[in-house]
Amino acid sequence: MKTLLPLLAAFALAGAAPALAHGPDAALAEAPPAAPYQPVSALVTLPDFIPGLGQLFVDPATLPAGPFLAYDRDGALVSTVYMIPLADLNPDTAFDDLAAAGGTVDHVDIHYNAGHPGVEVPHAHIVLWHVPADEEARVAQ
Amino acid sequence: MSVGRRDILRAGGGIVALLAAATRPAGAAGVVDIAMGGRSDGGHVWFDPLGLLVAPGQTVRWTNRDAGNAHTATAYHPAIGDRPSRIPAGARPWDSDYLLPGESFSVRLTVPGVYDYYCVPHEQAGMVGRIVVGDAGADRRAAEAAVGDLPDAALRAFPPVAAILRHGIVRGS
Repeated sequence: MKTLLPLLAAFALAGAAPALAHGPDAALAEAPPAAPYQPVSALVTLPDFIPGLGQLFVDPATLPAGPFLAYDRDGALVSTVYMIPLADLNPDTAFDDLAAAGGTVDHVDIHYNAGHPGVEVPHAHIVLWHVPADEEARVAQ
Repeated sequence: MSVGRRDILRAGGGIVALLAAATRPAGAAGVVDIAMGGRSDGGHVWFDPLGLLVAPGQTVRWTNRDAGNAHTATAYHPAIGDRPSRIPAGARPWDSDYLLPGESFSVRLTVPGVYDYYCVPHEQAGMVGRIVVGDAGADRRAAEAAVGDLPDAALRAFPPVAAILRHGIVRGS
């Protein structure tokens, strides 16, 4: 029994490691992500590259919440974004089990947004950054 | 004393700055410009100027100066989205449709009165504007009393007609 414990511990650690730090799905790591994701600029009238967020893709079936996948100008995934209407933050609405296929999250930003085509009401941008804060500049302009 | 946008923001939100003390219509000789703006994080959007006095027959041009968003200039009128009429009787309503950064839309306003308009994706956030053409006349009282089905944020944002008539240009915070 004593000899098994280290082995069990090793298996447990090996199993936990992917949950602690893992990369995005291969199909999503570089723009354009595989179907059913589509460029947001092809779905609504918005710039193809949005300063501060990057180039956005979304599975239309998940609108309005997302996830939206955001890429820098080199096509590398930088963040996963959820857009939650403020009016939907109420006792009768929940957003459960939102996909999070973008890999390891370095940090999270939550911003108020006044609206834009596609989500035409005030809402919150919840940004799961997959890059360090000092690399957010990759999508600044 | 001149009050700039940055000074207004420092003083706090909701303050309406009255600029350009001219009492004649702005840019009476040509096209009058209104910028569609937005903060880089999308948290605040606006028309600048917010209120404008023009002469009958003048052309107003909206240009999207917001690098990260699309905007519209859309007249309140039943023919467009079944909204309440907030333009003079007999005036032709307009809808720019979505303007991407750098794009413009123009309309020539000939009927005197008060014209209220909004940005489709940002009306709920209070992105509206008001243009007075000539003497507001009978429209003045009606425009200020009207409520309709507008969001509170929009109703709070309209500058008073009297301020537009007095100053020619009214800027928001």
